[in-house]
Amino acid sequence: MPVRLALLALFRHPARTLLALLGIAVSAALLLDMVMLASGMRENFKGFLMLRGYQLRVAPKGTLPFDSDATIDSATALVAAISKLQGVIAVSPVLGAQVQTTAAGDSNVTAFTLGVIPDVQGDYEMIRGRDLTDSSSVVANERWLEATGHKLGDTVTLAIGYDPQLRTTVGARRFVVQGVARFYYIAATQPTLGMLLPTMQAMGGGARRDRVSLVMVKAADGVDAEVVRERIAAVSARISAISLEGATEAVEQRLGYFKQLALVLGSISLAVGVLLVTTLITISVNERAGEIAVLRAIGVAKGSIVWQVVMEGIVLTSVGAISGIGIGLITAQWLERILSDFPGLPTTFHFFVFQPRDAGIALAMLAAAGMLAGIYPAWRAASLPIAGTLRREAVA
Amino acid sequence: MTVQWIAGLVAVMSCAAVVHAQVIDSAPARSPVVRSVALDARLATDHGLTIGDTVRISAAPGDSLAERAVVTALLARRADPSEIARQEYRARLHLDQLQRLISYGDRVDRFAVQSRGDRERTTLLDAINASAFGFRAWPSAEIAVRTSRTFQVVRRFNSAIGVITIVASAAFLLCILLLKIDERRRDVAALRMMGISANTIVKSVVIEAGIIALLGSMAGVAFGLIVARLVNWHFQGVYRTTLAFTLVTPQTVLFACLLSVLLGVVAGWVAARRLVGQPALTLLGR
Repeated sequence: MPVRLALLALFRHPARTLLALLGIAVSAALLLDMVMLASGMRENFKGFLMLRGYQLRVAPKGTLPFDSDATIDSATALVAAISKLQGVIAVSPVLGAQVQTTAAGDSNVTAFTLGVIPDVQGDYEMIRGRDLTDSSSVVANERWLEATGHKLGDTVTLAIGYDPQLRTTVGARRFVVQGVARFYYIAATQPTLGMLLPTMQAMGGGARRDRVSLVMVKAADGVDAEVVRERIAAVSARISAISLEGATEAVEQRLGYFKQLALVLGSISLAVGVLLVTTLITISVNERAGEIAVLRAIGVAKGSIVWQVVMEGIVLTSVGAISGIGIGLITAQWLERILSDFPGLPTTFHFFVFQPRDAGIALAMLAAAGMLAGIYPAWRAASLPIAGTLRREAVA
Repeated sequence: MTVQWIAGLVAVMSCAAVVHAQVIDSAPARSPVVRSVALDARLATDHGLTIGDTVRISAAPGDSLAERAVVTALLARRADPSEIARQEYRARLHLDQLQRLISYGDRVDRFAVQSRGDRERTTLLDAINASAFGFRAWPSAEIAVRTSRTFQVVRRFNSAIGVITIVASAAFLLCILLLKIDERRRDVAALRMMGISANTIVKSVVIEAGIIALLGSMAGVAFGLIVARLVNWHFQGVYRTTLAFTLVTPQTVLFACLLSVLLGVVAGWVAARRLVGQPALTLLGR
């Protein structure tokens, strides 16, 4: 009965109800987007780091992986020491540097290049061709092939730098492009290469001898990664061991703006929704004061009146929120497209990730807001003086 | 003696690297060979450093190439959006000292060249690029455009959020004004029965809606100013910067007020037309 009465009250003014539903739907869409942005970014980043199961990263002291050009020296000894630690099952050292390529045309292309050990690398997946086999092989991403005009099987000359005084390249070597790979952590727009770690160290001469930029570490299943992290940190004072949580927190700090924005806009959306529903139902209750007084006069309980008005708020908010989920998913795609233009953002990273839990949270918050919005008008409806209201209505 | 290893990003003129500083002495340095260093004011606050302290600087903790330097200046972080979220400390060292500390040789990451004017800049760029090997000269304006992509994306994102917010606000405003005017059905009925023309009623309702919208937007501007101050106060504290995170500009105020009044007038007109289109007795509920 209260549900039916609530629906009848809402259908009495269809234009007004539709407009209110539109307002609530847009607020719900914004709220869903903001919940997705706030929680999705964190979850997505964790999944992004765990693409190949490496839970820990070791970087030069005080830095995040590839945050600067700093490298770790005596890498062989460090990797050996980490490998011996209890609970460690795989260690993947990586050296990153800019490598110059002579293009098929006249211009040079600078590629970000990773020196890896193929058996344990966690930075790329092969799309076609073969993985690295020897010191003369490289794998490239599609962007590099496009920028240089080279194709699979081509022989190219790569150099790790220039000597302006002698006007020669430094560490130049010839390589065969053996495979095409997708690099997980590098923007698709960045020309990228992969080669064997010892080759890259040798190309860099003394400056890169036995140095790495990053070491990725995989802990065994069932072993607490934090315990392994502490063990790694104790190995050397020159390194920072970063866990999944630590890396996520660091990135969240960097992208804190979006999280704060999500919080502020999400709260505003909710407040606007509550205000809209409260106003609408309060006016609706005022208009139906006579009806409510009649219902009370014929014996309808106060609780039933309260329930009917609260139900009106819940129905309005729920219908608006459900429509808002569709709008929210569309706007999330739009916003994701905008943010995907961030320079250097890997294609595997997403800001907006739909999780049923997020939709559930947004719906639950709005339903609670709808209930909250109905409380004031419900209290007004229940406390109407029956005789006075009936007399006023009769006079009017 | 305080012993603290502090990692920070050191940028000297045009060469950058991660170095570590160890506070070794709080007394002013006496040796003239000790070089000066400018440290991040946040680093000084966080680790109790003051001007005149001597620090040991090295590429890695415990590095044998470590050198002593005297803190001669504290650097306030620029109000730069690209830097505020970065937590690492910054410092300024003499170029040759940093090159030595990080075994960088006679190399730099970049040069800044000042030209006499626009015409000479182009000639200079061409001359440098013609003789360059392994580097390239760019006009500062072009670098600014290339490095501002992040902010362009953020601006587009904020604009998109703004559009969604405006749609939600517009629906809210229209709904409230329709309700407000709908409440006046008995007054309108009385005016019609007194012989006031429908046109006059529509005009008066539209003016009333416009005034309500204008007053509402003025209150909104005041509220916005307070919120902007709160937001700036909060974020400036969080990021320890003087950067203004929200700005209420005259253009923003004008846009908000005009949009609000426009929506108010449209809502008033729609609601008034609906009311005057019904017989007066119907409006009275008879």
